Amino acid sequence: MNYVPGTASLIDDIDKKHLVLLRDGRTLIGYLRSIDQFANLVFHQTVERIHVGKKFGDIPRGIFIVRGENVVLLGEIDMEKPCDTVLQQVSIEEILEEQRLQQQAKQETEKVKMQVLKDRGLSIPKADNLDEY
Amino acid sequence: MFRFQSLDEDCMLEEEDDGLIEEEDEIDQFNDDTFGAGAIDDDWQEEHKRLAELDERDGLGAGLGFGGGGMGGDSDLSTSKRPSSTRIPSSAVHPPPPSSLASLSFSSSSSGLPPSDVEDRVGEGDLAESLARLILDADPAIAGVGAAERPGPSSGSSGSGLSALRGLDQPRVLPQPSPIPPPTQPHQHPQHQLPPGLPASGLPPSSMLSYQQQQHLLRRGTAPMGQMSSHSIWENSMGFGPVSVAPGLVTHMEDNPLMSIIKEVGHPKRAPQGRNDEDLSERVPPPRSSSPVIGSPPVRAVPIGTPPKQPMSHALNHQIHHPTAVHVRAPVQHRYPAPFPERLSPNTLLNIANSPLCRGPFPPRVGPVLSQIQRAQLLNSQVAGFPRGGPPPLLPGGGGFRPFFGGPPPPHGHRMGPPPPHGPPNHAPPIRHNTTHLHPQHRRMLTQRMQSRGGDRRPGMDRRSRDPYSNLMTQKEKEWVTKIQMMQLQSTDPYLDDYYYQNYYEKMEKRQEKERDSSKKEHTTKLITPQVAKVEHTYRPVQFAGSLGKLTVSSVNNPRKMIDAVVTTRSDDEEKREKQVWNKRRQILYTVEKMYSLLLEVQDFEKRFVQAPEEDREALLEQHKSNTEQLCSSLREKEWDDRVSDEQCVMIMSVRKGKRLISRLLPFLPSTQAAAVVMAIARNLPALAKKDKQDQVLCWLVEPVSAVIQSLSSASLTDLLQELQGSEGQLATVLHNKFGVTLLYVILSEGERMQSSDPNCQLMDDNRWTELVFSVTRELLSVPSSSLSPPLFTPPNLLSLFSRYVDRQRLELLQDKLQISALSR
Repeated sequence: MNYVPGTASLIDDIDKKHLVLLRDGRTLIGYLRSIDQFANLVFHQTVERIHVGKKFGDIPRGIFIVRGENVVLLGEIDMEKPCDTVLQQVSIEEILEEQRLQQQAKQETEKVKMQVLKDRGLSIPKADNLDEY
Repeated sequence: MFRFQSLDEDCMLEEEDDGLIEEEDEIDQFNDDTFGAGAIDDDWQEEHKRLAELDERDGLGAGLGFGGGGMGGDSDLSTSKRPSSTRIPSSAVHPPPPSSLASLSFSSSSSGLPPSDVEDRVGEGDLAESLARLILDADPAIAGVGAAERPGPSSGSSGSGLSALRGLDQPRVLPQPSPIPPPTQPHQHPQHQLPPGLPASGLPPSSMLSYQQQQHLLRRGTAPMGQMSSHSIWENSMGFGPVSVAPGLVTHMEDNPLMSIIKEVGHPKRAPQGRNDEDLSERVPPPRSSSPVIGSPPVRAVPIGTPPKQPMSHALNHQIHHPTAVHVRAPVQHRYPAPFPERLSPNTLLNIANSPLCRGPFPPRVGPVLSQIQRAQLLNSQVAGFPRGGPPPLLPGGGGFRPFFGGPPPPHGHRMGPPPPHGPPNHAPPIRHNTTHLHPQHRRMLTQRMQSRGGDRRPGMDRRSRDPYSNLMTQKEKEWVTKIQMMQLQSTDPYLDDYYYQNYYEKMEKRQEKERDSSKKEHTTKLITPQVAKVEHTYRPVQFAGSLGKLTVSSVNNPRKMIDAVVTTRSDDEEKREKQVWNKRRQILYTVEKMYSLLLEVQDFEKRFVQAPEEDREALLEQHKSNTEQLCSSLREKEWDDRVSDEQCVMIMSVRKGKRLISRLLPFLPSTQAAAVVMAIARNLPALAKKDKQDQVLCWLVEPVSAVIQSLSSASLTDLLQELQGSEGQLATVLHNKFGVTLLYVILSEGERMQSSDPNCQLMDDNRWTELVFSVTRELLSVPSSSLSPPLFTPPNLLSLFSRYVDRQRLELLQDKLQISALSR
């Protein structure tokens, strides 16, 4: 039941299983236990799910407190809905390994790109160092 | 203050102790110390040091009666009956001035009556408890820890004045010149009794002692908390925060809203006492350093964001800003005549302690201090077994909503939301929330939704009820968050702040009304969102009368001017010229903005008219008229007041916003003026089209202009067409532009409509119309297809128009070119 009908409130989502995407790219799945006015979230029995390609792996993390400003999206997981997914679950070690490889590949391409740009005298500053939009 | 100076007034102490015990509410240890009012920004290092020291000291002061006061009873029990516990309790206490000891008959009284039931529970003590006791007993400083932070205004003028006078280094010491019977204050208080008199007298806080003693006895009395999952020091620690009196004494805090206020708002905390009572200079700085009282927002002992531990009564809301010291004695329920007037006997204590326990909401075997998890589990078990019996603690919440309403609460202000649907049996009665502040449509939809969801709820509810960790967030907390969210919706002018919501609901209501054919006449058009009365809160900084100069205190409410911004004009010739160009543009923009505000007011007039009460309507009408007048005049020439200024129009339309403005403005102008404006547009279309190349926003004008055209007379229509054609080659440019083509078509179509519908139409009276149409057709045919811009829409009757004037061959050509056919739209 909605405490503030006609609006969106997280109160109704309490004690339900949720998936949250954080600003740093992590995906957490857990039971939402508590909220506050800043939408800080308290997750219980949290699992961090890492996706690489078609595989994914779950790392149990316990209790998470997420500061509201770091949430990109949050959605309830419907437990009753049949889960038909092409994704394949693998072990933690495997997925971490895959992730590492993926990161490595990305870094390599990035490095090459920077080198090429540098050769041409251009540079693309990293987003976090930008002072102006 | 004076209380401590004479130990003879023990009877008062005793009473206070009594009251204090009974007021205590269930304490949430976790939150208390980490988040709640118990959290102090004390220097943890110092605390730790003290603790460590205490730990080391062993066998010291065993003979000392002090700490002893509290120890008196304890030492007997602890040393004799509890070999398992360390000797800490007897250790370590810092010897107080002997004079105080002598006068204490305390120990004797308490030691004389070791209560039997306490003995039973003694064995269950754990390290944490003893440590806690140690801490408390050992050091009055710790016991009195927490700085006095009586919020500024609360202590009254005298308090602040005093504090101001005595300098800032001792503000905490003098929270209250007037005596506050400390034990009557809720649990956070007990240590706070000391401050004023203590430094001066150097006497140990005797009342503290007695209090401590009670604490320990009670603690032990409530020791069997097998459900305590962790025996960490934090759970039972009292030294680091305000003493939490045995929470089993859930008294009727709810009954006494003022007590809850005090609890909520927090209490003055005093700086922890140095070991050396005389050495005030080394006193630890107040934990929460704040700007001086004067001119700053009220200091809260509890940070504004903390969730409530106790149900907040609505009176609290008023209290938040002006917490005042309240000396209230909580209703004393069980008063047993104390055998020894100076001190409360343990017997009495326990008797008192037990009764609230027994009557508590939880079964007696449950310890009063529950962690969040345990409470949640308990709730879960209740839910699982049977519908939740506890009344939804919404009444405080419902009352809490009251401040949101500007005036007296609506007649059914306390009427909680829609009646709960009759869902599945194990479905806990839905929390009734106050929906009166929301639109009745909302409420209706809500009930519908809830009813429809009643069926699907079962599987979810079952699962949730089986979840042992659910309900960690208590009802109170949910309400608290909701309350904050609602507070954010408060507005003095909902039409200004929440325009879209209001409009949306009006539209929805209209739609519903249409659908339902007004079979139910229960619609109210009044939308109720939490409204706050418009009160002027002007803050004027404190000024002392008769003083020279002003206080140089800058605060949130009283900011200081940092920069003197002075406008200087540059007087360069070249810049002047450049400026002229800019100035013109700025002038246009400025004009557009002003017209826009007028226009918005005119557009909103109707809505506001409906909303306004009777008295205001006249004024509103007047204002509306003047607004419209102003709008019209703004378009007029400077010299002749009755003609629409071409120049002005063009100027305005040279800006994108201006075009939009005109398009919105046209419906509100009187018809002559509107016609004149349209003429001006037609006349200057090439120029406008050129300027519009980038923006392409002329097409906004199509709709209002068509509306105007349809109201034109035939003569004016002809005039318009003529204007459109204007000088040589104008038509070509017109055709180039999408808007132009559309406009042309609209004009032609209107003419056709006139001719076909009205037999006495004067369109054909002079040949102008015919000639114009001829020239149009000529142009249309001669212009290459590529330069002919597709119109926004093609009126259907163009074909019939052309068929009047041109021969078949040309007609077919035209058809192809313009892609109009008998069936085209």
